[in-house]
Amino acid sequence: MIALLQSLIDGVLIGGVYGVIAVGLSLVFGVLRIVNFAQAEFLMVGMYAAWFAWKYLGLDPVLGAFVALAVGFVLGAVCHWLLVQRVLAAPPVAQIFLTVGLLAVLENGALMLFGSDFRSATTSYQAEALELGPIFVSVPYLVAFAMGAVVSILLWLMLAHTWVGKAIRATAQNAMAATLFGIDTRVIYTIAFGLGTGLTAFGGGVILSYSSVSPTAGAQFVTLMFTVVVLGGLGSVMGALLGGVVVGIVQAFSALALPIQMQNLVLFVFFIAVLSFRPQGLLGKGAR
Amino acid sequence: MKRSIISIAALALALLVFGEMLNPTGYAIRVLCLVVLAACLGQSWNIVGGLANQISLGHAAFFGIGAYTSTILQVRWGLSPWLGMPMGMLLAALMALLLSIPTMRLKGPYFALATLAFGEACRIVATSWPSMTGGPQGISIPFLGNSWAMLQFRGAGSYLPVLVGLLSVTSIVFALMSSGRMGYYLRAIRENEDAAEMAGVNTLKVKLIGSMVSAALTAAAGVLFAQFTFFFDPDSVFSVAGISIRAALIAIVGGVGTLTGPVIGALVVVLIEEVLSAYLSNRAAGVAPFTFGVVLILIVLLRPRGLASILPALRGVGAKQ
Repeated sequence: MIALLQSLIDGVLIGGVYGVIAVGLSLVFGVLRIVNFAQAEFLMVGMYAAWFAWKYLGLDPVLGAFVALAVGFVLGAVCHWLLVQRVLAAPPVAQIFLTVGLLAVLENGALMLFGSDFRSATTSYQAEALELGPIFVSVPYLVAFAMGAVVSILLWLMLAHTWVGKAIRATAQNAMAATLFGIDTRVIYTIAFGLGTGLTAFGGGVILSYSSVSPTAGAQFVTLMFTVVVLGGLGSVMGALLGGVVVGIVQAFSALALPIQMQNLVLFVFFIAVLSFRPQGLLGKGAR
Repeated sequence: MKRSIISIAALALALLVFGEMLNPTGYAIRVLCLVVLAACLGQSWNIVGGLANQISLGHAAFFGIGAYTSTILQVRWGLSPWLGMPMGMLLAALMALLLSIPTMRLKGPYFALATLAFGEACRIVATSWPSMTGGPQGISIPFLGNSWAMLQFRGAGSYLPVLVGLLSVTSIVFALMSSGRMGYYLRAIRENEDAAEMAGVNTLKVKLIGSMVSAALTAAAGVLFAQFTFFFDPDSVFSVAGISIRAALIAIVGGVGTLTGPVIGALVVVLIEEVLSAYLSNRAAGVAPFTFGVVLILIVLLRPRGLASILPALRGVGAKQ
């Protein structure tokens, strides 16, 4: 029973971060109606950004995550302006292959620049845990969850109350109407794409506090990210956050019973099952 | 159809004659074999990916199933890969059938995602089942001397006829599927699946047959890959970038849904790979896949219909003059 409770808490805490990572993907889909296969690579970019901020500026990865957010935003916006916006009206095949190409470029670009070494950051609270009776709450997980929650609230405030946020939602609902109301949708699309990649990069910065980065760090999260997003409904911001928590719990519970490689298999089977049982639910309702 | 058969036969003959002129144990013939194998892979992908536009990013699953089936049968029971190949093909077709149950109704990016996950699931199974697959350390085929019965040779040259044979079979299957009734059905699905369904096309059945045939032929390529390299591990045969995306890349570079596309694509892709690895091999890992990413992006942006679309354009210029 205690083991179950322990797994539940770990699952929720890790899942919260998964939610933030996946929110970016969901936002991009909700606004631009494009599935960005390269999204997970921005997680890797964010991890490297946070690692360099830790190494050379002495920033804790959790604060370095804000550096990662900025790097992810700029890189994503540039990718969108130069590449992605050219295929927005193209058939899905072109969109799939453009973003798959981007995935290969980012992953192998990192390999060429940084080599294949694993890098990790050390923090003072890395191995600490809070004892609540028989339950241990890992401090890095707790900090990561808190950062995820802070950013989610900021994102919600931005989408609900700022002009840019409203313009993003308007564009997601009806790009034509938004244009008629004087919104430059090209700029909004670029901002939304950059915001999406920035959020995923932020998630990368946060998880650097308890995991290491290498050029393939993003690839490991591809399925996880898509599982979360599909579960919550592509395009739904709240759905992605909840989906993240659900996936975190599924992962934590499967860790109780299965060897590590089989845990990943559970995730894939879960993903294919979700895809097949909710194909209609996949079509999100726009960024809300 | 007749023209397709003639051009396939001409290509096969040209490849064999060209192969005869090369040193049978040299580097050039090895590259030629890799080109033909890559063309097999691209052509198999093309059957469903090109004709029906069902973008699979999980063909590594079938490639790896083929490679593992024949190799395990060979290592454990000494079974000839000539028998292992049909078994691997059958198993791959069955897996394609199984995968179709959850993915049949999925479109575009969702189908791509589900197949991607399936390929990864296969890699994990192969990695975590060492008693059967040899696990992450991989599995190797014992060399018993040059033998047609066991389909293993010291030099690359002897594999060429077998590879060209598979490429011809795959191309003929592609030509058959693209020209007949099936071809119209698959293209109808590509243009508009709902409309095809309305017009009385049994879209599920058509997609199912297409993906099973495509999976079986991919598995055959996997078997030949295993025989050709003698050693492989889960990461190499179930690789997303190395097999799944590469299969699609080969078809796309050459021109999606065309008979000649994968052959042109394989030539371009393998030559780029070989040139890059010859000049940069140890100095910079990742240059080759990086280049492919760039090539993929450029093709999508500049030549959405692939390099094969240059040929008719050139022909058109010639006709005018």
